[in-house]
Amino acid sequence: MADGIIADIQRASFHDGYGIRTTVFFKGCPLRCEWCHNPECISPRPQQLFYADKCIGCGGCAEGCYAGARVVCGREMTAAEVLEQILPDRPYYRDGGGVTFSGGEPLMQREFLAECIALCKEAGISCAVETCLLYFDEDIFRSLDFVMADLKIWDSATHKKYTGVGNERIIENFKRLNALAVPIIARTPVIPGIDQGIDRIGEFLRSLDNVKKYELLPYHSMGNAKRVALGEPLTEFSVPDKEYMKELEKYAYIR
Amino acid sequence: MLTYADRLRSMRETKVRHTLEKREQNGYTDLDDFGTVPISEGYEVEPWYNSSNGSFYGYDGMCENFCRVMDAHEPYVDPMEMLCGRWRDMLVNYRGDVHYLPDWLKKKPKIMEMMKSATDQWSKRWDEQRFPYDHLKPLQAKYNIQTGIDSDAHFACDYRIGFELGFGGLLDKISKYREINPDKKDFYDAEERVVHAIIRFIDRHIEKIRQMIPEEQRPEIRESLEEMLDTCEAVRTGAPKTFRQACQWTAFFNCAARVYTRDGAGFQLDGLLLPYYENDVKNGILDDETAKFLIANLLLIDPHYYQISGVDENDRDMTNRLSYLILEAADSIDIACNLTVRVHENCDREFLRKAIYYLLKNKNGWPRFCNDKALAEGYMRCGVDKKTARERIAVGCNWMCVPGKEYPMNDTVKINIAKVMEVALEELRGCEEKSTEKLFEIFEKHLRIAIDVTAQGINLHIDHQWEVTPELVMNLLMNNTLEKGEDISQCAELYTVGIDGAGLAVVADSFGAIETRIEKEGVLSWECMYSALDNNFFDERTRLILNSAPKYCGGNNVSDAWAKRLTECWVRNIRAQSMPEGRQLIPGWFSWARTVEYGTKVGATPNGRRAGEPISHGANPNPHFRTDGAPTAQSLGIASVQCGYGNTAPLQIEFDPGVKADDEGIAIIESFIKGHFEGGGTLININILDGEKLLEAHANPDLHPDLVVRVTGFTAYFASLSPKFRQLVVDRFLQGI
Repeated sequence: MADGIIADIQRASFHDGYGIRTTVFFKGCPLRCEWCHNPECISPRPQQLFYADKCIGCGGCAEGCYAGARVVCGREMTAAEVLEQILPDRPYYRDGGGVTFSGGEPLMQREFLAECIALCKEAGISCAVETCLLYFDEDIFRSLDFVMADLKIWDSATHKKYTGVGNERIIENFKRLNALAVPIIARTPVIPGIDQGIDRIGEFLRSLDNVKKYELLPYHSMGNAKRVALGEPLTEFSVPDKEYMKELEKYAYIR
Repeated sequence: MLTYADRLRSMRETKVRHTLEKREQNGYTDLDDFGTVPISEGYEVEPWYNSSNGSFYGYDGMCENFCRVMDAHEPYVDPMEMLCGRWRDMLVNYRGDVHYLPDWLKKKPKIMEMMKSATDQWSKRWDEQRFPYDHLKPLQAKYNIQTGIDSDAHFACDYRIGFELGFGGLLDKISKYREINPDKKDFYDAEERVVHAIIRFIDRHIEKIRQMIPEEQRPEIRESLEEMLDTCEAVRTGAPKTFRQACQWTAFFNCAARVYTRDGAGFQLDGLLLPYYENDVKNGILDDETAKFLIANLLLIDPHYYQISGVDENDRDMTNRLSYLILEAADSIDIACNLTVRVHENCDREFLRKAIYYLLKNKNGWPRFCNDKALAEGYMRCGVDKKTARERIAVGCNWMCVPGKEYPMNDTVKINIAKVMEVALEELRGCEEKSTEKLFEIFEKHLRIAIDVTAQGINLHIDHQWEVTPELVMNLLMNNTLEKGEDISQCAELYTVGIDGAGLAVVADSFGAIETRIEKEGVLSWECMYSALDNNFFDERTRLILNSAPKYCGGNNVSDAWAKRLTECWVRNIRAQSMPEGRQLIPGWFSWARTVEYGTKVGATPNGRRAGEPISHGANPNPHFRTDGAPTAQSLGIASVQCGYGNTAPLQIEFDPGVKADDEGIAIIESFIKGHFEGGGTLININILDGEKLLEAHANPDLHPDLVVRVTGFTAYFASLSPKFRQLVVDRFLQGI
């Protein structure tokens, strides 16, 4: 059995797909989105985060930090161990709920992901993946109940500027995924100040009949504290106000 | 022309105004709203004391003062409403119990003078001159026991008795049994006077409406007042015959019960009112819009706990057209509302979804949900049949009761097990062998003593309650009372007396922290822990070592295991406690709103809780029980510590799931409720909150005087709560996001 590197397992998530879900955050991501709210999931290796505000200055770091100031993110787990963490929430999944494999980019740990999905399926648990769609694995996608995929910026050069990669392959993978007839929830994080071309993205997504839902997610700054804890530089973005989100609402849809 | 919607808006505005006025009169009140209206200028009661300790007791004392307080009550008629009547003050206020004395009464020099002339006894609710329990007090204090001695109400009337007889019929019943039981003259005299006082109260309303009608210019309101007059005249002595009359009768009875000692509990609202609804609709004298308005009006008059939906003794769904109308009515007025939806697999799923829809839409803490399967099966383990178990409905913060039959004292008797643990820890300190096993052994020994002394207190109460605070109003709608000439405390069919444990999470986490940090990891020594408890965690690192150990509700961890073991121990010892023939104790976990008070009695605890800090709420986990604060983890943890005999360990939860009142949002909450109940959970007190609004109201309560939160089982206007209490609600909410 392959071991995976998991950043965190969050129970009772209401925003990562349908119903009540358990979200498994994989470590490692090929993108470098400047606004990333899970920066601790970018590196594929375990990392230590230091939250200075929680440090009580006891000097006992070597013996272990109990203040929550020094936190290690990333632990090796087997798929069976992941399943064990998921199972308690099974009574709450009922119609629609289940597991969302997120990250990071879960498809960066393809073999491990496939194993996790297989175990969940055996246990009768609905599975979804939240992906940047830079990678494509037909077997994995076919085994899922739905896929959540991001299309962050329409213009490839701008996409590359803010995420480190162009979006040609992502757009291509959207089309390939659509052809698999797996339901897709598409999402765009709304970052004021960047010309994301949300109208164009919306138009493109509407042309794909398996995109059942297009969600616009307002940027929030909750990732900043983690970035500081990782010792990484911050890029400041502003949080979109309600009016701005309302203006964009016309592009979002459910069908 | 004013529509129903206009009138409801006006009623809601009046309610908000009253909430703010009451806060002016009473200061902050960390309690249910109870539906009171502000005291009017010139309101005066001259209490009559029949005890040398400056209080009043027994049939004559309670009856005389009930009549005085009742007679002092002005009629309350709002022409916007269809029903009339409100209460403002209760006779127990005049017993000199400063704990209950509202600010406006304390400001009356005359009352304070009368109080001073009495003995300096702090509370005069219980007649300690005649029924002392000084021998129990040391142990009650040692284990921080809420004794239940002097508590009243906390049982449920069978309103069918009142609906069948009316106040006139009740007088006839009193006369009939007076003849049969001539030795019970005092009892029947008191009951008769009580009914007459209620009829006088109705008569003053009739008089007031008569005065208002000629002055009313709006034709539709004038017509409404005329109908109100007819209704009041009909229910003055007659049994209610129509839906409107049944609602009005209920409103008057509830006002009287509340005046008595804030007594009373609701009923199966969609069951008892259904025949009236169906009959009136059939006869063409009631439409659904009017029925909804009347229900909304009834809910406004008193936020009693009413149950809706559920199944009958044959597992058949009882949800009906009226159940839906009740939800719509509650939505139309959207005030503090204590509707409980009974959930069973056979129940109408659409109804449950609609109930959830209103919870999400209004974000005002209603309705809440109880689990038929766990409650009914649990209660049957007490030896009752299925029919009786099904009749046991949700009519209190955390409690159920069989209307008319049961005297459970639910929610009035509690043991602070954090205090019991403190005693055990102290004893362990002197032992050579120290281990969690030894601590548990000592804890159980003290728990047994605490339960025994609690039982002695309850039995003293039950034996003498009729001589101290007979339930003169509620007796009218109970079985056996008028028939035998006895108070319900003497003649109930069921004495399934509830005892709740408080502080479960503090104790479970303490055991978990000791086992993890001292026994397994060796990070701390026992000496170091005792020293930290003694100096109230002077060293923060030591506190954090203990506090960061896995917590109850974390999910299959050491403290979850302790919580289950503690529950098993709690249940076993309570069930083993011997009681007089016919009485039994029923275990539950619930602290009510007393977490702050209980916390002040307990020093620092091994879970890293500092001395004096609040103890954990009911069966809920401690703060930061998981980094994700997962409601499902909380739900599973609480489902695993149910006591199993028909009383609850409620899941108290507040969160902003950020979901809309649409199909998806409803499906999420439905999954959550069903998941909890399938796991064995009994009751969900739930707040789906608008986080932004809550935080705004916390900063300035007057910005949102209509914001309602479910504090424990009860709902309260957020603006009425003390800043400390508001903080508790906000803290719980912040953990849930």
